[in-house]
Amino acid sequence: MTAGAGTVSRPVPVRPGRWPAAGRLLRLELLNNAMLWLLPVAVALFWFTTYRKAMAMPPLWNMRARALQSGALLAFASPVAGAAAWMGSREGRRHTTDQVTVTARPRWVRQLATWAATTCWAMVGYLGCVAVLYGMTARQATWGGPLWWPAAVAAASLPALSALGFAAGAAVPGRFTAPLATIAAFFVLGLSTQLIQGSQSYWQVSPLVAAPWDIGPDAGVATFYHYLPDLPIAQVMFLAGLTVAVLGALALPGGPGGTWLRRPAAAITAAGLLAAGTAVALAGTGKLDAHGMIAIPALHNAASDRPVRYTPVCSHTRIPVCLNPAYAGYLPATVGALAPVLTEVAGLPGAPVRISQAAATYRQGPGNSVGVGLAGPSTVGRPPVFRLLLLDQLPGPAMTTSALAAALRSNAGPAIVAGVTGGGRGASPAQQAVTAALIMAARGPATGSPAGITPPGNGFGMPPPGPAPGSPAYAAARRFAALPASTRHTWLVRHLAALRAGRITLAQLP
Amino acid sequence: MNVEITGLSRSFGRTMAVAQVDLRAGPGVFGLLGPNGAGKTSLLRMMATAIPPTSGRLRLLGRDPGSYGPRREIRRRLGYLPQNPGYYPGFTVAEFVEYFALLKEIPAARIPAAVAAAVERTGLGGQAKAKLRTLSGGMQRRVGIAQAIVNEPELLLLDEPTAGLDPEQRVVFRALLRDAGQHATVIVSTHLVEDVGAACTEVALMDAGKIVFHGTPGDLAARGQGHGTGDAPIERGYSAVLAAARS
Repeated sequence: MTAGAGTVSRPVPVRPGRWPAAGRLLRLELLNNAMLWLLPVAVALFWFTTYRKAMAMPPLWNMRARALQSGALLAFASPVAGAAAWMGSREGRRHTTDQVTVTARPRWVRQLATWAATTCWAMVGYLGCVAVLYGMTARQATWGGPLWWPAAVAAASLPALSALGFAAGAAVPGRFTAPLATIAAFFVLGLSTQLIQGSQSYWQVSPLVAAPWDIGPDAGVATFYHYLPDLPIAQVMFLAGLTVAVLGALALPGGPGGTWLRRPAAAITAAGLLAAGTAVALAGTGKLDAHGMIAIPALHNAASDRPVRYTPVCSHTRIPVCLNPAYAGYLPATVGALAPVLTEVAGLPGAPVRISQAAATYRQGPGNSVGVGLAGPSTVGRPPVFRLLLLDQLPGPAMTTSALAAALRSNAGPAIVAGVTGGGRGASPAQQAVTAALIMAARGPATGSPAGITPPGNGFGMPPPGPAPGSPAYAAARRFAALPASTRHTWLVRHLAALRAGRITLAQLP
Repeated sequence: MNVEITGLSRSFGRTMAVAQVDLRAGPGVFGLLGPNGAGKTSLLRMMATAIPPTSGRLRLLGRDPGSYGPRREIRRRLGYLPQNPGYYPGFTVAEFVEYFALLKEIPAARIPAAVAAAVERTGLGGQAKAKLRTLSGGMQRRVGIAQAIVNEPELLLLDEPTAGLDPEQRVVFRALLRDAGQHATVIVSTHLVEDVGAACTEVALMDAGKIVFHGTPGDLAARGQGHGTGDAPIERGYSAVLAAARS
């Protein structure tokens, strides 16, 4: 036809033959893949729904990693499933079925190349998002390193979603399959978490689950104790099994005489289903451990239960305030909030020698409720050390520095004073008065407790009950608070032991 | 013989598309004529191994396509242009032909030269980098032909290959057919009898799933002398054979 066409012959742009056939096929599919066009959508969704939220969180690796797992997955799920379904339905939509069917290369190989290209683009976009999020976190975080398991779970989700979308497209090659797959991916993922009840739920195998459900990204997890990869291992196993099963199933409807392919494909599908089923069963045996993570007995490594060794960052105050280095950024605000109270109690007999940040303890409650707080008393040891729990270690939205300082002033400050004066629950009127006086002197604000959290003990730093305004104890407190600091201090040094023993009455207060 | 068909039948539900067809074809250009619904496309699809026969014996290139291994060997040596070929609009001409070269398992080292040759032979060298969505229907048809011949097939099956080609392109295409027929079996299904007269060395005429004539284009034209309707002798032969078959 050359002569008739009358065109000037010039070299046809085909790459030289140094690439192997599989590589050339993948290259062609990469160049002509719908996922490439949907990458900006996925990245934009990631930026809107995940990156901005993650950046608003404290720069703690655990929080950022868990936000990444759930957020990136939701951002990429719909585009990946939709693009894969579009590519899977390509032969049917474009009426090339007969042309490609009569070629020598098996249909499965053809489909795997298309699926692989879709997955590759999704992975490129996702890994780019991980790199940016983790890169920014690396610049901001004061301690620790990236958690790779949450990133791996989301990464393993992409081939699975791609395989599911592709299979849907190949099975029903209509133009509506891709939009339906897009919507279905979002809702199936979202609904997969709705059936989770407590920590022992098979549904925890859903890749969206990055933590005990309903806790969400929690700063207290994987800082004082190692990150437990038990659930992520089960999730990756499930996703890998699902991917293998779906890809194997693609080869099952072979043409006549394709038994040689169908048998191994059936075996691959069965192996994938077995792996996925095993992972679901393992996830069902998971249990919330004391450190806020899901422990699966069959996958659990006891070495992971040992606390992380770290050198705390401490203030240079008379009573040092020491925090986990991951929370180093919180130290100025913490010291600023507690300094007035610490000044009042410094040098008193029984005053804490150090305020030391402690790990939160988690306890599964009914349904999806989880009790989070300090296990045991807030003041321990001799010389006494006050164990501090920052509110940001508890589930809930991230706090601003000023909100954190206010919470410390209203909760931890009074608790520290009460620990010195014995003014906790069941305190005598004199103890209550002295405690209230020291808090007044330190200008402690009204008491309060964060909503929605149930501290298992008083270790969280709950403020002691103060005297009612207008009561004799309240009047005594105001009188005592009005004394010069040195006078208060001198009196307390002399009488604190008697006050703690309950032998001081209101009338004996100066 | 590259094509040996004995008692081949294919039914779709209650419809018998191809009924007890016997056919043998060696190197050369073989024309398959017939009215719409005669069973040409079904016969071609069976020869292309796209669908299995319901009954009968089919041997292609000396192999039985019923078994996987021989079928794969046949497919490596097969070129097929369906009646309504599909395209991937985002592919360039070269990419699309290369895609089929890869699917036909041409050795990777030979692919660039094979693609270049196929694209040049179909007169698309100037459009090699053009996206398929930008091409006219006739050019897309030529891309379909290019993918069919990229592996220099020993058995080339073309279903209505000249549909959408302009007269100049059809003339050039016939030359390509004659050239391919020098060393391969080319089976062209068409209802344009002038294509058959100009390019084919043998012709078969199908009607209602059966072959009602098998001979040379000259034999077919001779059947029309004094009978049939049409402007050209071969057209008159075509209509005369059909009328005789239906009477």
